[in-house]
Amino acid sequence: MDFSDYRLEAEFYDEVLRPDGTPRPHCRTLHDALAETSAAELGEVQERVTRSFLNEGITFTVYGDGEADERIIPIDCLPRILAAAEWRELEAGLAQRILALNRFLCDVYGECRAISDGVIPEEMVRGCPQYRSEMRGVSPPHGTWVAICGTDVVRTNDGFIVLEDNLRVPSGVSYMIANRKAVKSSLRRLYRRCRVREVEHYGNLLLATLRELAPPNRPDPCIALLTPGVWNAAFYEHMFLARELGAELVEGRDLLTRNGFVYMRTTEGLRRVDVIYRRVDDDFLDPQVFRSDSLLGVPGLLQAHRLGNVTLANAPGTGVADDKSVYAWVPDLIRYYLSEEPILANVPTRICRRPEDLEYTLDNLDSLIVKRVGEAGGYGMLVGPRATPAEREAYAAAMRANPADFISQEILSLSRAPCLIDGRLEPRHVDLRPFVLRGRETRIVPGAFCRVALRRGSLVVNSSQGGGGKDVWVLES
Amino acid sequence: MLARSAEGLYWLGRHIERTEDLCRLLREQMGALVDRPVREINFGWRRIYDTLHRRPPGPAVGVAESDDDYALADSYTLADDVTFERANPGSVLNSFSNGRENARQMRHCISGEMWTCLNLAWLRLGTRRIEDIWKAAPESYYAELAREMNLFAGVVDTTLYRDDGWRFLQLGRLVERAQFTIALLLAHLEGVGANPEAGDREWASLLWICQAFDTYKGRYGVEIRPARVLDLLVEDPRLPRSLCTAIDAAAATLGALALGPGPCGAARRCAGDLASNVNQPWPSAPSLPDRAARLRRLDGDCRALHDLVMAAHVGYDTDGAPVR
Repeated sequence: MDFSDYRLEAEFYDEVLRPDGTPRPHCRTLHDALAETSAAELGEVQERVTRSFLNEGITFTVYGDGEADERIIPIDCLPRILAAAEWRELEAGLAQRILALNRFLCDVYGECRAISDGVIPEEMVRGCPQYRSEMRGVSPPHGTWVAICGTDVVRTNDGFIVLEDNLRVPSGVSYMIANRKAVKSSLRRLYRRCRVREVEHYGNLLLATLRELAPPNRPDPCIALLTPGVWNAAFYEHMFLARELGAELVEGRDLLTRNGFVYMRTTEGLRRVDVIYRRVDDDFLDPQVFRSDSLLGVPGLLQAHRLGNVTLANAPGTGVADDKSVYAWVPDLIRYYLSEEPILANVPTRICRRPEDLEYTLDNLDSLIVKRVGEAGGYGMLVGPRATPAEREAYAAAMRANPADFISQEILSLSRAPCLIDGRLEPRHVDLRPFVLRGRETRIVPGAFCRVALRRGSLVVNSSQGGGGKDVWVLES
Repeated sequence: MLARSAEGLYWLGRHIERTEDLCRLLREQMGALVDRPVREINFGWRRIYDTLHRRPPGPAVGVAESDDDYALADSYTLADDVTFERANPGSVLNSFSNGRENARQMRHCISGEMWTCLNLAWLRLGTRRIEDIWKAAPESYYAELAREMNLFAGVVDTTLYRDDGWRFLQLGRLVERAQFTIALLLAHLEGVGANPEAGDREWASLLWICQAFDTYKGRYGVEIRPARVLDLLVEDPRLPRSLCTAIDAAAATLGALALGPGPCGAARRCAGDLASNVNQPWPSAPSLPDRAARLRRLDGDCRALHDLVMAAHVGYDTDGAPVR
């Protein structure tokens, strides 16, 4: 396979090739290996990778019309490679960010110094739908509100940029590990030659993190992973993580509270639970406090958390720090709490609740991305240049009606990486979701889930909208 | 362990055992379609439907006993109904699918090898339909699926940690096996009673279904005697699939489980009673109706055992439950 038909465009940073078509130094081994591999051989590698996902049952299930359709996320067999120095920069930036965001959460549910000091407007915090007033005064162990974070990072010609912080129930880490297992065993010689840093110990780091967050005087804490259930699209990941942790995989109906403590039903009676890695959204966690119609949660859970008898990771209310509007203030928050300059840049963001930003956005709708602050997964988004006039008009009307629900951003030129498409190497846009853990200290595995917009020209990498995945190789040196 | 996980493993055991049992039943019936007279084929179908406590679709089995073509066409419909019919909760495919689904939901409680074994079998055999298997050799489909279930049992034996999770899985298999064997024997006795022409062939096929034909021959010779067949299938502790083997093992497995908050004592007593009843010597040579009556009592006790196990460890009232 060679890159003779591979289209480089100056606008997009290519992860493997320099603008002159020669390989970047850390990608030379991959480049040379591809040159020695025929299209048929690479096709076989791709087939093995795909097959391994099916055989292992690494699937998500789509339910409809009474039929359950098991699907796999399409995985491109070619790894995305990051040089050691690139990773060091990312790692430092991510560690800085999670620390600042945890300080911010301690503050907004505590003294509110950032508000009184004028760093962030009060209405940005209190007006955020993810702000949970019920969490005021709560102080989780080590001040850790966000124990598990999956930060979305993209690269442009100007470097790495944080697209969003996912601080509630970020998913995808199981794919980081599954991709590694599948690709490593299919590209054995290349993997060995590249000297790639491991990611498979993520479960150990997660376990260490969760143990650090146990309530006081619980030296051997009981840890459980709370899943919405088997119908959830991320159930495979929940099961995978429970296995990695050696924890019980519980649903709300398996738990109960008594006298401010949480217990799970075991075959031998009730057992106290100390730490819950919850993969259930805030709204459904506790019907006594949040949505009363929730069948997924546990009545009294929040009270047990407030009393410090159980730790919820992540804590309820962390969504206020990854809100699409609050995002714009993160660089200022880093400066405020850590007295440091942000290592990783933000996307310049306009907050449509500000009249001048709304006006600018409406005037430039055909060249901006507009996002609804409450949406995720790539939904509710208007990509200006791709939208029809009617779609833009409908969006503009919605923005005028509820400006606070929207932000706008310049369209980024996401980097591209070569993918095997129909037997050829073609560039596709990619992003990166590294996973950051924070207990008493910060832990980051050298790797990430790389999402790929597999549709030609598409910028949307979400798996729900035609996105796929790639393994990420962080090199030792 | 988590009560719901224990329940999932118990049902995993039951569904896998049921899949294998059904496959053995149907493999024998598919073999009969090749060279047995219509009367025997109909006897086989009746036995299958009575074992499953299900009514056949369409006209009752045997309406056109003299019409060979009709019997074969009917067998296609019946095999489809018992094997692939989605609306039949006890079909082979539903049992297999349920077992795999139990395993999928409990993957964190079982070994990776167990999941892979079951998933690969599902990918290969789980999407077949009656038209795929009928033209060639339908019995090979059932034989293959039964082999996969045997393989799974072997993988369980060699890879699963012997804690209460393993015990619940074993308990599910053993209770299912006991109930299936009782249902099969009762259906057979009823069929034999209603059909004076039934003879050695029918008894031999019963032995084949229970994987006991060779053992029987080795022990008793080629002459088939119903009492000996029943002695072997019910009371011989050396036969892996005998009823007493399943019940004794279930009682031992239950006894090894950690005590649950529910009616554990009652569950253990029930298992003990089952074991002593199935092993109780007959005062004199029993008639077939005597044997059927004992089987019916055992069937009731097996159902009670299932309920008591669930009540003791899974569905107990949390109000008075001990806290650890």
